Amino acid sequence: MRIDETHRKWFIGSVIGLAVALVVYIPYSRSSPQGATGGSVMGLVYGSVGSAFMLFAGLLGLRKKFPIWRIGRAQAWMRGHLWLGFLAFPIILLHGGFHFGGALTTTLMWLFIIVFVSGIFGAILQHYMPRLTTERIPMETIYEQIERVRAQLMEEAAKLVEEAVDALAGNLEKATAEERACSASAGTMGGLTVASGLQVDEEAAVELRGFFTREIQPFLQHVGSRGPALSDPGRAEALFRQLRVLLPGNVRSTVDDLENVCEEKRQLDQQRRYHTVLHGWLLVHIPISYALLLLGAVHAVIALRY
Amino acid sequence: MSPDGTAGKPVPQVQLTIDGVAVSVPQGTTIFDAARINGIPIPTLCHQQNENPIGVCRVCVVEAGPKLAASCIRQAEQGMVVKTNTEQVVGVRKTLVELLMSDHPSPCARQQHSGDCELERMAEQAGVQHPRFPKKVTPRGKDESSIAIAVDHEACILCERCIRGCDDIRHNWVLARRGKGYQAGIAFDTNLPMGSSSCVSCGECMVSCPTGALTNRAVVGTKLPGQAVDPDSLLGLPIFKNVSGTFLELNSHAVVERRFRAGDIICREGDFGATAFYILEGKVDVFLSSPIAHVKTQDSGRGFLSKLKSLLAPRANDPRTEEVDRPFIPIDASVDLPYDNPIAELGPGELFGEMTCMSYYPRSATVRAKTDCTMLEMLRNVLDIMQRNKNFRDQLDRTYRKRALDSHLRSVPVLASLTPEFIDHLREHVELVRFAPGQVICRQGEPGDSFYLVRLGFVKVSEHRPGGDMVLAYLARGGYFGEIALLGGIARTATCTALDHVEVVRIPGEDFQLMLDKFPAIRQKLEAAAAERIEANRQRAMQVANVPVEQFLNQGLMEAQSLLILDLERCTRCDQCVRACADAHDGVSRLIREGLRFDKYLVATSCRQCRDPLCMVGCPVGSIRRRNSLEVIIEDWCIGCGQCANNCPYGNINMHPFPVEQDDPTYPGRRIASVKVKATSCDLCLDHEEPSCVYACPHDAAHRVNPPEFFAGLLKQRSTGMKG
Repeated sequence: MRIDETHRKWFIGSVIGLAVALVVYIPYSRSSPQGATGGSVMGLVYGSVGSAFMLFAGLLGLRKKFPIWRIGRAQAWMRGHLWLGFLAFPIILLHGGFHFGGALTTTLMWLFIIVFVSGIFGAILQHYMPRLTTERIPMETIYEQIERVRAQLMEEAAKLVEEAVDALAGNLEKATAEERACSASAGTMGGLTVASGLQVDEEAAVELRGFFTREIQPFLQHVGSRGPALSDPGRAEALFRQLRVLLPGNVRSTVDDLENVCEEKRQLDQQRRYHTVLHGWLLVHIPISYALLLLGAVHAVIALRY
Repeated sequence: MSPDGTAGKPVPQVQLTIDGVAVSVPQGTTIFDAARINGIPIPTLCHQQNENPIGVCRVCVVEAGPKLAASCIRQAEQGMVVKTNTEQVVGVRKTLVELLMSDHPSPCARQQHSGDCELERMAEQAGVQHPRFPKKVTPRGKDESSIAIAVDHEACILCERCIRGCDDIRHNWVLARRGKGYQAGIAFDTNLPMGSSSCVSCGECMVSCPTGALTNRAVVGTKLPGQAVDPDSLLGLPIFKNVSGTFLELNSHAVVERRFRAGDIICREGDFGATAFYILEGKVDVFLSSPIAHVKTQDSGRGFLSKLKSLLAPRANDPRTEEVDRPFIPIDASVDLPYDNPIAELGPGELFGEMTCMSYYPRSATVRAKTDCTMLEMLRNVLDIMQRNKNFRDQLDRTYRKRALDSHLRSVPVLASLTPEFIDHLREHVELVRFAPGQVICRQGEPGDSFYLVRLGFVKVSEHRPGGDMVLAYLARGGYFGEIALLGGIARTATCTALDHVEVVRIPGEDFQLMLDKFPAIRQKLEAAAAERIEANRQRAMQVANVPVEQFLNQGLMEAQSLLILDLERCTRCDQCVRACADAHDGVSRLIREGLRFDKYLVATSCRQCRDPLCMVGCPVGSIRRRNSLEVIIEDWCIGCGQCANNCPYGNINMHPFPVEQDDPTYPGRRIASVKVKATSCDLCLDHEEPSCVYACPHDAAHRVNPPEFFAGLLKQRSTGMKG
């Protein structure tokens, strides 16, 4: 979610909320002989408000499980999650008078810090990463389909190479119209342009097939972005440039197509990386949030009972 | 008495010597025939015994006295000494074959399939493996427009055997020569593709051709089950009169006799097939077993737990806006089925499965033998021969006029009030006309002289505009066109083209006027419908003219009425929209988060209610159409074949399963549980205030927009930004 001018109301509301909390806190803190504590009336109020905000933020996960329940638009829940979750942290700090207290509360505070920081990190990622993904990965596909698309690319590349090898071996039937048109021996006869055959170059065929087995195949089979030479755009460009020099003109378009296939694979690798980054932080944020809510509930029961 | 008045007079004989053998033949006999009669073979390519010789290939060259001559046209003379196998003759013949081979794709189609290309066999015998002359692959091309015969102009040696077969033997006068030099070849009518020409597919040209230039287009890999019928028995049937026996022999597995016992299912609705059936004996029932109801999604929950539930609703329970009260369901047979009780009977001499056979559409109905019956099952090459056969056409035409014209006319809502007397009048005046795929039925700007009703296939209606043609509509069976020009006395306002194998009922202008005069209510309805069409076209043109077309047309976005767009700079690819859609529709998502991109927006795969809805092409029962609002509507009689879902280029139509009860084929009278599918598309969650996908997006990335407004606004913003 982009945090932009559409969040203005939430931003203003949160600033006002925080200001009110601080304005109330200063006299309360000064007037308390032992300073602000969680067990005082005001402390309990801060604790309750902070817990309520945390609970609301935590309910987003549940809201997402039932996407069509008409209980408010999901984006309103998300904004609430962001801003109330953000506000909960200073309020909880005010609740404890900026002290972490005993073992349980210290644990709680550290968990909260992790949740808070990971949340901010996530919000920043969600603000920037979608744009980055859109700009840098024009060939993006559905994440779950990446493996399938990779397999398709493999098939496509193999087919391209076989067709070009056929053409280079002089197999006229299997040659594409373009390969025929680019044939070196095309000429004119009786005023008509005729392609009298293909440029036969068996050495080039061997070279192309070798390049495919040596470079393209391992790269397309490889899951992940590091390893084979073609993973690096600069090296890939150089390798394809070199290949073009070695092959005759009638298979240049095949080389272009192969280069595009490799570019698409690189983009898929990049998408996988971006996806991991964009959603990976949730692996920290969500379980620790649940732990925080659970321990928070334990803390509330213990504090209120004893 | 013969025309030349020689009857009864003895024909003078001439004596000559051929290869040292003294022979005597009637005066006027060619050297070729003289040799043949006396058992001396002379090779030839352009000449056949049953055709008039023309001497173009010169392969039959012989030494006739001191000179070389083409034996097929040179007449025998008294005392002539002919040598057919001298070194000189063999050398010349070999050179001729070499020259022909240099311009012949070897192996040609005939050589590949049956190994009997006369030229290639001759080349092999003459030891011409590799001609000394360079091969010239001249771009004369192939013509695959005919279903029955493949034409490879590059393999043609211009022997004209096909032309003589067509003109002199069959008197069809379709084939002739075209072009000069390397472009010379054979032409059908005025150089039309064979499939669009007046060729009757008798097969004579193909049988006459010595090379792979004209070959039989057998349906590869298909051998129909059933009893193969020998060509002589087929030729004994009136519907096969005038068809070449050799042609039927070559297609012996493409037409078989099938026998069914009463109660047997012959074909089922929705199944894919490639054959048509012609009933020889017995009767069959044609019916729809799919529930006659459409998919309706309605709010099944209460309050915040509100959820959509998909269910089947017939039009009596759930009338929809702009629902056409159509009394008949069009199917791929000579009859239509009544909406209330979709069953009809077919008998001897009737054909069904024509669209499945010719255009590979799914079966439109289930056919069950009512009595023991015998029928011919055929593939499209045989059906094509029959369709072009005058006797068969006449028979189909008669059956249609007698049985189907009435229901066909009445199935068109505006014509529903025609009286039986007037329909009887039309029976004698309408004409059934067939069109091949791509053929223009009527052209924009031409004077309007007829009104057309679509009987079979799909017709594309397009309007020529500066910058390209714009598709206005696709018309299926029951659709009509040509009324605007006739009503207004103006030229045709659009071009109508056959998308596949189309058959239309042509009502001449005079009869159309008579109908308007006799039935003022029909005139009113037609005028109202025409005005609506003109207005819809005008609005469409305005919309296209008012926005930067080129930017949208490239991606087809302007075709849409409503788009689900995802702002990719906001979307975190969490797929909540897809999940919400599936949750809202019984687990079947109607959108996929993949599609075209425009700027930073992804146009998600969800029904766009296109202006050029390809989904409508190919529906075997014509159950998918557009409302006047252009929104796609799937009628109650959808048989769940999935053709529309396959056709939609954007993957926006889904097949939704429903549990139903149906007759047990094994135990008649018993009902069994079964699953039937029905086509559905995005309904924008009409029962809800906002589409579920948009409602469930936590990142404010999903939006439903009106494309012209949205994209025009976007471009305006951009241009303002650029100026700033």
